[in-house]
Order: sequence, then C-alpha cells, then structure tokens
Amino acid sequence: MSWGVTTMRAGAALAAFLALAPVATAATDEHCIVPAFLVEPLAQLPRATIAAKRDRKLEILLISGSPSQTGAAKGLRSYPSVFEDALRQRLPGLDIHLVVRAAPRRSVADTLPKLSEMLAEFQPALVIWQAGTADAYLGVEADDFADTLRRGIATVLKSGADAVIVDMQYSPRTDRLIDTPNYLAQMRWLAETMDVPLFSRYEIMRYWSDSGAFDLTSLKNDGLFEKVHMCIGNLLADFVARGASLDEFKGTGR
Amino acid sequence: MPPAALTGRDLRLDFFRGLSLWFIFLDHIPSNRLSWLTIRNYGFSDAAEIFVFISGFTAAFVYGRVMLDRGFVVASARILKRVWQLYVAFVFLSVIYIAQTAYVAHHFDNPLFADEMVVLHFLQRPEIILVEVLRLRFLLANVNILPLYILLMLVLPIMLWLILRSPPLAFAFSLAIWSAAYFGGLNLKLYPVEQDWFFNPFAWQLLFFLGAWCAVGGATWVRPLYQSNTVFAICVVYLLLAFALSITRVFPESVRLLPEWLLIFPLDKSGLSPLRLAHFLALTILVVRFVPRDAAFLRTPWAQPVIMCGRHSLEIFCLGVFLSLMGGFLLIEVSGTLAMQVAVSLFGLAIMVGLAALMSWYKSLDRRVPKQPATR
Repeated sequence: MSWGVTTMRAGAALAAFLALAPVATAATDEHCIVPAFLVEPLAQLPRATIAAKRDRKLEILLISGSPSQTGAAKGLRSYPSVFEDALRQRLPGLDIHLVVRAAPRRSVADTLPKLSEMLAEFQPALVIWQAGTADAYLGVEADDFADTLRRGIATVLKSGADAVIVDMQYSPRTDRLIDTPNYLAQMRWLAETMDVPLFSRYEIMRYWSDSGAFDLTSLKNDGLFEKVHMCIGNLLADFVARGASLDEFKGTGR
Repeated sequence: MPPAALTGRDLRLDFFRGLSLWFIFLDHIPSNRLSWLTIRNYGFSDAAEIFVFISGFTAAFVYGRVMLDRGFVVASARILKRVWQLYVAFVFLSVIYIAQTAYVAHHFDNPLFADEMVVLHFLQRPEIILVEVLRLRFLLANVNILPLYILLMLVLPIMLWLILRSPPLAFAFSLAIWSAAYFGGLNLKLYPVEQDWFFNPFAWQLLFFLGAWCAVGGATWVRPLYQSNTVFAICVVYLLLAFALSITRVFPESVRLLPEWLLIFPLDKSGLSPLRLAHFLALTILVVRFVPRDAAFLRTPWAQPVIMCGRHSLEIFCLGVFLSLMGGFLLIEVSGTLAMQVAVSLFGLAIMVGLAALMSWYKSLDRRVPKQPATR
C-alpha cells in the first residue's frame, strides 16, 4: 500500500480526532459537513478567474470515465448537475455553463486522443477531470495512469484553461479489490507537483463514513446516491468558487 | 522447525519479526486508522521489508545448517515441506476471501457504486478463479506477501546452495535479477486484470536473499562497514531526511517549499525502490548498533508477546492475514467507527499473541517427550 495517502489519512484522522479543524459549512445539509482542510483548494485557478472577469461567463468541461457517477444513472441526480446549479446560485453575476463528457469505463489513455478536440469544441476556461475508477478497474498501472493524466492536464493548461482533478469515490466494499491508495497517491502527487487543485472525493467520503454521516456500506439503493451527490456537488461548487476567487460575482447581476 | 533454530537463538530476530507481523496486521485491515502507528508513515520502508529480510535470514540460518550437515536433498525436502504448508494456507485464505467477496457481490445493488461494482464481475467465472488461485495468479489485495513468501521459499534451496558455494556470485545474481525487475519491469501477471504482482518477486528476492546472505556469514564480512562511524553518521542523516520528507505528506502545502529533486514520492514499493532498500538497511544498522544481542529489554515480560509472535512467524503471519480479512469484514458489516477500529485491532493482536503462546506450549510438550521414552 502506498503510504502517501495513508499519511494524509493519518493526518486527517488525527486532526478530526482532536477536533482541531474548523468545518466547511458551504453546503446546506448538515450531513455534508467536512473539516475545512478536506475541501481547501491548495492551488489557484487563475485562468478561470481571468476568463470570468473578462467575459462574465464561465465555460466548464467535466470529463469522466465513470458515467454512473456523472449523470447517466437512471432517474438519479448526480453531482455535476448539482454542482452547476450550486455554482449558479452562489455566483448569480456569472453566466455558468457546464458540459459533461463521460464515456463508460474509458481510461485516461483512451480519453487523451479526444481531449484536444473537446477543448477546441467547448473552449472551456475550466476542466474538471474525474479519474481513477476506470483505470483501476481496467488494471492500468498506477504510474502509467499518472503519466497519462499528467500529459492530459498539461494539454488542458496549454489550451488556456485551468484544471481541477477529482479523484475516486471511497467505496468500502470494493476498495480491497482495487489498489485504490496507489492511484490516489499518484493523483495527489500529480496535483501537488503540477500546481493543480485536487478535489478528493475519496477523503471526503472517507470522512463521512468514519464519522457516521453516511453509511457507505449500504447494499441497496436507499437514497444514498442522491444524498452523497448532493453534498459532493455543493462542496465542489464551493471549492471551485474559492479556487478561482470568484466571490466578486456573488449577488451581482440578475 | 529443526532443532538448530532452538539453540543460540538471536532474540532480536524474533522481536523485530514479531513487531513487523503486528504492523502488517494493523496495516492490512482496510481503512484502519490505527495503521498510522506503524513505521510506514515515518520513513521510506515499512514492515514488509523487515519481515522479508528476517524471513530470509532465519530461513538461511536454519536450513543452511541442515544443508551443511545433511546435504542438499534433506534441506530441500524440509524447505519444500514448508512451501507446501504456505501454499495450503494461501489457498485456505483465498477461499475465505472469495466467499466474502461473493457474498458482497450477490447482495450489492447500490447505484452509488455502480462503476466500482464492475470489479466484482470476475466472480461470474468460478471455474476460472479457482484455477487462478491454485496458479497463484489471483492474489488477495493487501495480503500479497504470502505468495511472495511461497515463491521465495521455493527457490531457496538453489539460492542457498549458491550462497554457501559462492557468496559474491549469489549476491551478484540476486542483484542482477532485481535490476531486471526494477529497471526492466520484469514481473508476474495477475487475474482478472493483467496487473503486475504488487510485491514483485523478482525485486523483493533481493531483500530475502540479502537476509540469507547475512545469516550464512555475510554479516561478518560487512562488519567493518556497519560498525564504521562514518557509515553510522550517513545512516542517521538519511533516516532523518526520510523522516522529514515523510512528514511533508501530512502537510501538502509544504511540498511547495521542496526543491524539485526532492519530489520523489510515491516511492516504488512493487519494485523495491533503492531508496526504500537503503532506508531499511540504515534502520538495520542503527538497530544492530543500539540493540545488542543480549539487550535487557528482550528479557522483560512486555517484550515476550512480540517475541513469541516472531518465533512462530509462519502461523502468526497466516493468522494475521486471516484476522485482517475478518477485521475488514467486521468494520464493513457491523460498524466502522474509530472505536470499532481500535477494538478490532486490539482483539486481533490478542488472538495472535494467544495462538503464539499456544504454539509455544505445544512445542514445550514436544521437547519434554523424549525425556520419557517408550513409556507405553
């Protein structure tokens, strides 16, 4: 098990345990609450800030290899749609537009050739890239995965857009079948070294599971999907708004 | 275990192997917060290095003597008997693991994890899985040191023979194979996805046979090296640096302050990164220096549970794997709170110590028997 993430977890556990960390209260539901350091963007989104100030609009592209997590689940509202609404509500002065491109079980390596085309088509100022699940399932080596993702993020940055990496879900029942920590460590390291913010769904959901806010081991559909996606969408909107310093669009316009 | 191991036993080996077994158990319970107590968070190397090195050391110590006294065939036969025990233990643990997974797969229908559930589909082909288990191609996540141990023991007779004949040649051979694994990507493949073995046996054999090499005389040859004050100073500096770098992981912002050449994480554990190996060797040199063979604390009562576990390492290792599987299962099915994690961890350690005590008791019975021959 790769230790980077574990150490992070250890730190998170310790901080949570000692109740030293303040909590983020952006999302309305009290279940969504997580320690602030879990949703603190550790890098800025300057390109998105400039684009928003210049055009008073924000084009966002969300890429994912896991459609069930990003909108294809039947009759269920997933986090990208919650995110878009939450961001609009938070920043009424900004014209926000989100495009989701999710293909089933598509590895990062399969996404890469289509990336330039997508960037040219939508001209986003911000790309949210959710990665890890498909590559882990397909058995892509974690360091190969990270190398490919690194090239993808570099392409995004070169196109003039900012990038946010969204990592995997914390799935207690299937975690032991996949070497999740290895992929997480790679993504965290990639984010730190490329100065790109990482939105760690894994650590957030881990926190909810440990604190008992959500029972992620539930076998059936008992409304868990909507609740978790509602929280993730809200927290991500907060994360992006702070990462791009867009608070000046709060309450203006309309 | 042959009687050779029972006399003149270095308690340090038992103690540190026991400790590594405790750490491995804590680290292998999925989502266990108590794993931050183990050494993997405070440097480059972790309990796996200790376990593999000491296992190589003791195996060579025990079977090397048999090979010298009674020849290649007898020693090989004993080693292969051990391999068979390990193999049976591995199949047993795999069956438990598959049963747990099958239970989950059958009942799991939560749309939140629809994508993750795909990894459970391999269960639709039991006829393939069972064969893959027997072929060591289906390895349990988190508990894959066992198959590594099986393979290393399987080639031990030949390597031991070579080490006894020509230590430098054996060392060079082991190093060459490690290079092929670390630089060339030589590894074994797994089922169901064609992933590499996590503990790359071609890489990790270096540590095992380094232990074996030390046991049959290597330790004496390199004594000037590990007793040198310069080497000691280098080790201390290296360990402190590794500690400082590891701590940066707790504070992600601090990474910005590091120069580019220090951005070395994550280290390659599969291929046994030289930085990990060096970290383990530096730790070993410190331990050898500060913990003499007759260190007083090894005789104190509180050290005995650890030593006992280290003494029956095969059984305790397998039990630890089993308990970490069951512990993980409990944390998911019953409750995963921090209190439960602590309870599962402590209870598991207590069972490990209990079994080790039982094994010691059995062994003491066996030893008493020859004193009263043919009473019936």
